[in-house]
Amino acid sequence: MTRKNGHKSTMIKLSLSLAGVSLVASGCGQQTPSSSASGSGSVSKTTTISFMEVMSSGKLQTAMKSLTSQFEKSHPNIQVNLVPEPSYSVLETKIEAVVAAGDPPTMAQAYESWANGYAQAGAIIPLTSFVSGKDGISASAQKDFWPQLWQDQFLPDGKMWMLPFNKSDFVMYYNQNMLTAQHLSVPTTWTQFSEVCQHLTNTAQNHWGVSIDPGSASGASNGTYLYVALIRAFGGHLMQNGKPDFNSPQAQQAMQYLLHLYQSGALKLGTNYPGQTALGAGHSGFDLSTIASYYYNEQAIGGKFKMGVAALPQGPAGQGNVMQGTNLVIFSKATPTQQQAAWTFMKWLTEPQQTAYWASHTGYLPVRQSAIPLMSSYYATHPYQKIAADALAEAKPTPPYVGMDQAIAALGNALQAVLTDHTPIPVALSKAQTQAEAALSGQPS
Amino acid sequence: MRIFQRSGLAYFYLAPSALIFLIFTVIPAIFVLYISLFNWNFLNMKMSTYVGLGNYHVLFSSSEFWHSLLISFYFVVGTVPTGLFLALGIALLLIQPFKGRGFVRLAVFSPYVTPVVATSIVWIWIFNPQFGLFNGILHFLGMPQIGWLQSPHWAMPGVMMYSLWHNLGFNVIIFLAGLTTISTELGEAARVDGANRWQEFWQVTWPLLSPTSLFVLIISTVGALQAFTQFFTMTQGGPLMATTTTSYLLYQMAFIFYHTGYASAIAVVLFVIIAGLSLLQMRVSQSRVHYE
Repeated sequence: MTRKNGHKSTMIKLSLSLAGVSLVASGCGQQTPSSSASGSGSVSKTTTISFMEVMSSGKLQTAMKSLTSQFEKSHPNIQVNLVPEPSYSVLETKIEAVVAAGDPPTMAQAYESWANGYAQAGAIIPLTSFVSGKDGISASAQKDFWPQLWQDQFLPDGKMWMLPFNKSDFVMYYNQNMLTAQHLSVPTTWTQFSEVCQHLTNTAQNHWGVSIDPGSASGASNGTYLYVALIRAFGGHLMQNGKPDFNSPQAQQAMQYLLHLYQSGALKLGTNYPGQTALGAGHSGFDLSTIASYYYNEQAIGGKFKMGVAALPQGPAGQGNVMQGTNLVIFSKATPTQQQAAWTFMKWLTEPQQTAYWASHTGYLPVRQSAIPLMSSYYATHPYQKIAADALAEAKPTPPYVGMDQAIAALGNALQAVLTDHTPIPVALSKAQTQAEAALSGQPS
Repeated sequence: MRIFQRSGLAYFYLAPSALIFLIFTVIPAIFVLYISLFNWNFLNMKMSTYVGLGNYHVLFSSSEFWHSLLISFYFVVGTVPTGLFLALGIALLLIQPFKGRGFVRLAVFSPYVTPVVATSIVWIWIFNPQFGLFNGILHFLGMPQIGWLQSPHWAMPGVMMYSLWHNLGFNVIIFLAGLTTISTELGEAARVDGANRWQEFWQVTWPLLSPTSLFVLIISTVGALQAFTQFFTMTQGGPLMATTTTSYLLYQMAFIFYHTGYASAIAVVLFVIIAGLSLLQMRVSQSRVHYE
């Protein structure tokens, strides 16, 4: 298997993506409008649009299907074909394959940096004219979006290309029983967090503070974004004036903080959701991950102890939370009628009623502030969701530059180098800075 | 005329598989060569720009690329000779008649037919520093714990151990096949002449086995240079690029960071290296390989 699977399969994959897998494309991305764009511009006959998304299982899928059928009921002339993909990496590959093959869906979920790549290749359309158009978003409605979230929809060219969809941010999960047993209170600052973690660390009992996945040169992980949150909490930035700012005193301070935790045995590294595994197995006191992990953490714990949820600890400059999740984009190959229908659907999804429905059925966060009061009964039974929603006010998204994935991966590599390989902090961060600058300028290495 | 008819018929029979080979292997391979000359925008091919040998220039001046070659050769050196001699040793044992031989042969071969993705995920858990089997054994023996796949020093030995386990069966079967083709008369003649077991092996079996050994050597080297799946599932090239082989770097550049032209240049260079190395092995070994 290995022999044949290695280089050859990579070559095949390469040729498949490049030569445009028309088979795959015709199998999954098709959308044939049952009406033409002709006429007065109003949508009279049924328009079919396709939406490539990852809400493919469990309650996410149920909520997605339910919202779609609600939309189709209230908009009988638009039919939405959901094209679910099993994961974000598959979604990314599929979108790229169908775009390369010239047969993209009408709309899809996309991260900011993906959207920038699509925009530069002319594969998606800017939404500016829709926003200000007849069926647009009023100034007051624009202000109703969380301000950071609205800003996140613009690419560096100053145009708006996306609408927000499934958003989450970091919270702190903890083992309530472990803290109570040691008479420890829930930390609210990073200083307290470090103290509590070191207090919990006990080699004989095989207990420690927290496990993270630092990420690597081939991709950032939760731990990398956590480090970004720490940099911000210490007053630093990921990007400053359009350039990476990886070697700032604050970035060094944040790294020193993690190194200290690591050397004292309170922080351990792993891959494949190590925070969840260690918390669930009763070995670590904390897991720092997004609110989307709540359900999975509860499963990992399996009722062995009580899990608490609190806001991410604060640093001198606040929480520095990192916004996660994707936005929605419309592809340029779709007909104008389909694009208009996709816009109608997207806009409808972000309206307070729908985003409140979406959030309370999935655990993602509502994209509009006025959705919060609509969710009061939900928050009464799910108080942890309110913690994550409140954090959205200051959570920052990842800047939407092409090459950002590679730049942040360089930061993950620096984290590994300092923690596991004794590389001096300034050396590791200045290397990451150089790599990030190269990546953001489009250089392969 | 008859010969032409016969060979024409042969081509006709060959056509389906040749066509598949042409469409899915040969043409894409040539296309990769073409792409490697461009700053390729695969989302919109029209936006691709011709850069000549630019990608190769960047590649040869990239420390990452040279580092990946070193890692690849580390993997080759760590798995090929060990795999070859281990397989030979086991084959020599398994050629002897003993009770339950069929079952042992099956047990040795079975890892080879398991899917790499599935079994490497099992091995990730075996290597888990906190919950894994290996550290459990070390802990039991009172020895220090190892970070295995999370340690820049141990990650590669970890992947090597897995790869040896997975591929051993294939080499054993090839050696068993080689051993059965050696006539027993030659060994008997050597023993009659007073050769001991080692002398018999070294003077008779080993030289006669050399075509098999050469085959195993070439196949294992090519396989090791192309190995990708276990690196993809077990380490993603990390930690600290300690397992970023050239094959993995190619994947990373093509499908994670989308530097398609650059990745194609890596593919071309890797092809040249593998082809060159195979030729070299055949040339060097030609004088030393005995064909019966």
